[in-house]
Amino acid sequence: MAEEKKYRQFQVSKDLKRLMAKHYALGRYYRYWGRPLRRKLAWITSGAPVELLRAFKIYSVYPEQYGAICSTAKATEKLCQAAEAAGYSQDLCSYARSHIGSILRPDLAPMQGLPKPDLLVACNNICGTVLKWYEALAHLLKVPLLVLDTPYLPGEQTEHAQQYVLEQLQSMVAHLEALTGRKLDRQELKRQLTRSAEMTKLWREIRELAQAHPSPLNGPDLFIQMAPIVAIRGSQEGIDYYRKLKAETEERVRRSEGSILEEKIRLVWDNIAIWPKLFSFTKMFTERGACFVTDTYSGGWTAELAPGDPMESLAATYTEIFLNRSPEFRAQQMIQLIEAYGANGFVLHSNRSCKPYSLVQEVIRRRVMKKTGVPGLMVEADMADPRAYAEESVRTRVEAFLETLQA
Amino acid sequence: MDITMVKAEEELTFLLEEAVLRGKNAAERYPEQRFFGYLCSYYPEELILAAGLEPLRLLPGSDPANPAELPSYCCSLARGTLAEAKKGKSGLVGVGMAHTCDTMQCLDGIWSDRFGRENVLPIVPPVLLNAPGARRYYQREIEELSAKLLRLSEIKRSFSNEEALEWAWQVCTRARQLAAELDELRPRLPSPLVSALLRAGQLLPKERFIEALLTVLPLLHIKAGEDSGRYRVLVSGAVLETDSLFQMVEDLNGRVVADDTCTGYRHYAQNIVGGANDKIRVDEAPRDSRDSQSQNSMNSRESVLTQIVQRYVTMPPCPCRSQGLEKRLDYLEALALKRGVQGAILAIRKYCEPHAWDAVPLKERLEVRGIRTLILELEASEVGGQERTRLQAFLESLSN
Ligand code: SF4
Ligand code: SF4
Repeated sequence: MAEEKKYRQFQVSKDLKRLMAKHYALGRYYRYWGRPLRRKLAWITSGAPVELLRAFKIYSVYPEQYGAICSTAKATEKLCQAAEAAGYSQDLCSYARSHIGSILRPDLAPMQGLPKPDLLVACNNICGTVLKWYEALAHLLKVPLLVLDTPYLPGEQTEHAQQYVLEQLQSMVAHLEALTGRKLDRQELKRQLTRSAEMTKLWREIRELAQAHPSPLNGPDLFIQMAPIVAIRGSQEGIDYYRKLKAETEERVRRSEGSILEEKIRLVWDNIAIWPKLFSFTKMFTERGACFVTDTYSGGWTAELAPGDPMESLAATYTEIFLNRSPEFRAQQMIQLIEAYGANGFVLHSNRSCKPYSLVQEVIRRRVMKKTGVPGLMVEADMADPRAYAEESVRTRVEAFLETLQA
Repeated sequence: MDITMVKAEEELTFLLEEAVLRGKNAAERYPEQRFFGYLCSYYPEELILAAGLEPLRLLPGSDPANPAELPSYCCSLARGTLAEAKKGKSGLVGVGMAHTCDTMQCLDGIWSDRFGRENVLPIVPPVLLNAPGARRYYQREIEELSAKLLRLSEIKRSFSNEEALEWAWQVCTRARQLAAELDELRPRLPSPLVSALLRAGQLLPKERFIEALLTVLPLLHIKAGEDSGRYRVLVSGAVLETDSLFQMVEDLNGRVVADDTCTGYRHYAQNIVGGANDKIRVDEAPRDSRDSQSQNSMNSRESVLTQIVQRYVTMPPCPCRSQGLEKRLDYLEALALKRGVQGAILAIRKYCEPHAWDAVPLKERLEVRGIRTLILELEASEVGGQERTRLQAFLESLSN
């Protein structure tokens, strides 16, 4: 309760609950009406070109988001143990482990697991893990797997990488045509891209409102409100929801209402949220007037669509996402956020599960501190597995960090 | 003993010493060579050689390493090689890694942050080796890397890079052929010996390795005993910088008759997937210059480059590349059956995701074929008392 007093809830959040519940409930119906309507259900990675699937009337659900749901529902530990008992190492990404656990033990899983898919679609722009995870899923479930290989970019995008991705997209179209029995409707793809772009723009604008002092948004707001941009990107309902959220956020700014009651310190967050401790972790900061005004994680869904015809645009946009780029690029991104949002510090969640996000963070931390003079704190935890969270040591580090910032 | 055998013994000792040294002070020991350090068997050694440099596979040192740039939950291969590089004094002209897993991707960024992008030359092979456009993409990556290596090396010579590539291709092919001959003898030779010789080939100047192995092979043919009656096992895994595991298998009356490790035979194996009949589609060839004058040299360049691409695309897949999971399982099953293994040891370096993922379906597949499989998680490549107990129980179970 004490937490609520220090924290302002968004009115619109009750719509969010309904929206997401509906999204998952609809997925469940595909078992019944998918076949007669020739509509397929896909499991898809968060960085895959969902617009293409939507153009084929494929309904997509996101096992990564489901991993976060399991975690907030406190189911991760048991689900991970189920996967571990089947031989999956404890060092594998906890989204993947808990999701595989939910297939092996639906009785332990929120919503009894995700509805079984007709196909799997993975894009390795976020990590190599998703390829292995989806290979394992294809092997377990005996359903087709489509993979989009977006080469890592040590420097700038290259023409041959873009061409390679484009060719794969074209071949993905052929596979989707065969799987769905539909021809690609290019107009529909264009419409999907336009709607995605509109929703992404709204999400970007909402986030930019947090440049205001005090910030209308804090870390948990960003992490909770990102659900639609991940799961229902490009849907009219998602667009409508973000319009309402934007209006409410603007209202907060007009009234100079911060997300936390007394904002004294402004921080940038790096990496996925610590879902099992989302509120208790943030509380250590809000208690001392520290607000996470922006972050790199939920900001991953704000990239503008690259120009060009729809397929070229998809190829470039999905290859250039930040997790597919060098630490130099990511440090620069952090510096820009610190400057634009007037941050006094940054916190990097060294996330055991997510190696591509985490292994370069120390290099980024040093680089950013050197260039900006703004201090950065590293905290080791895991985005979903509560077993990797050492409460006391995290608290000591956070307190010491905030004290230096206050001094 | 005749003189050639005396020479062969000497050369064998030399190769084994090199294997133990793991490339340490290579630049000092071979002052006439210039070394370029690389990580991962998908880094085309041919390009390094053609640029007048010697490829040197980077391996972790013998002490546990925890460089500040990397968290504890990162594999000891990345931690160890970074720690070695930070010591400086390696005398390397530059380093490069082939993009494989998330960890290697990060290591590339960390290295280039520390040593400068111009000295750290990555290559990003396609992950989906048989995706449309993958070969053309790979070839362009190879061409660009080749140009960067030439710039780094600043070599001046009287012949063209095409000729240099052709020569380098032949050198590497020769090394691979000799390694294949050695691998055939594996069931009849002590396992740590074979593992050490194959590792030496990734640490020594290439032509020196070929010369030594050519001298040693006749001796090995003589040394190769009868089929040993030991437990026949397959070992699969990533990098093994020492022979510790192979030694322990041997101590426990086992024999590694089939090897699928990054630093073992997989590094050398040719044309496994697809094989010679796997034709390269004409539309996959690069469309570069149309200039008829340069057409001849273009053709030779294309052919050597396409050969290089073909080799890396068709070598036995590691878990970081994909032609569909089943391809790798099929290959390993076939290898296990061909060599008549009774058991398989899947050596997984702690925190190595790609190998840990594949271990689950691989164990399932091999066990269906009646091949008992042990997943052995190791911090590095050294095995100790705990592993001994597990290995002993495992090997003894093979007689049942
Ligand atoms: S490794 Fe990271 S990016 Fe990949 S699925 Fe796990 S959390 Fe997501
Ligand atoms: S494949 Fe495994 S052992 Fe090799 S660098 Fe990657 S994580 Fe480390």
